[in-house]
Amino acid sequence: MLFNQLITPAMCLLLLASQYATAGPMGFKDSFMVMGDFNNNWRESFINYAITPRDAFGVSVTYMRSDDKTKTRTLEEVTYTRLLHRWNLPNSQANLWFVGGIGALQGEDEHVGKDDNFSKTMFTPGVQFDYETTRIYFAATHRFYRASDINHDFTSVRAGFSFYETEYDKTQPWFVLEARNMNSLSDKIEITPMLRLINKSFFVEAGVNNSRQPRFNFMYIF
Amino acid sequence: MKKLLLASIITVLLSNIAMAATQTIKANVNGMVCAFCAQGIEKKMRALSQTKDVYVNLKQRIVAVELKEGQTLSNDTVKDLIKDAGYEVTSIEMSEHPVLQIKAEMEAK
Repeated sequence: MLFNQLITPAMCLLLLASQYATAGPMGFKDSFMVMGDFNNNWRESFINYAITPRDAFGVSVTYMRSDDKTKTRTLEEVTYTRLLHRWNLPNSQANLWFVGGIGALQGEDEHVGKDDNFSKTMFTPGVQFDYETTRIYFAATHRFYRASDINHDFTSVRAGFSFYETEYDKTQPWFVLEARNMNSLSDKIEITPMLRLINKSFFVEAGVNNSRQPRFNFMYIF
Repeated sequence: MKKLLLASIITVLLSNIAMAATQTIKANVNGMVCAFCAQGIEKKMRALSQTKDVYVNLKQRIVAVELKEGQTLSNDTVKDLIKDAGYEVTSIEMSEHPVLQIKAEMEAK
């Protein structure tokens, strides 16, 4: 039963191949969460399982590439997500999360004359804070991506608003603006305005960044 | 004429008995602002054998659980399930109205 739950829909979505696009990087107790985050230079797919209301374990695959395309990285990691604190308020919710992982990093740096290939162990501890009402959303994330002589720390800030309130079982459209940076892979801050659609069973975002590259995110809980 | 009158009275009585048998738990929930995140509450409630129907209203912060006839559900069970889904129950009340009626009333507001 558990195997079928894991394999059938989740792995299909994973094959399609996220920094965590919505309020929470994990679902409710005993649920799986599948996430994907794709653009030209950062592609991440992720699945985790919540063993308690506050703890989830998962696996993640991330492809990173520098703006000039001379550096590529692939990271396969096991992850742990912990809800450090949640503030359940009458008309809002705020959360403080820990997300961390350990995994195998394969990298390639192109140099004139010869390429440099390497494999290293990477550690990726990070925190996320988010605040949300039915009309506004804010999130700030910082996650270390470290291996020996490697620092690809990830920083992201997101803010948005919903165009209108909807009933629980209706799809709600949002506008979200994200600024993010991946250290040593990009010198600039990537700005992406996105349209977000939230339904009780799916979450998708799509936009175009300030380098005119498309971006697509999704999340699914089951 | 008498038969018609008798049938009407029986229909009204049966309808009232059915209404009286309806038990719906209405919980006020803090933190419930996103349908994608709150789906855990609905799933956990629907998984209960006692549950007939569930209604979630984000704006009013209400979770209504209609029970099958003759079934009961403790307030503590409801609170624990909603807590497992990541939210906090501030109060619970019982209603004799079915979920469909509660939904219609809330969406009319």
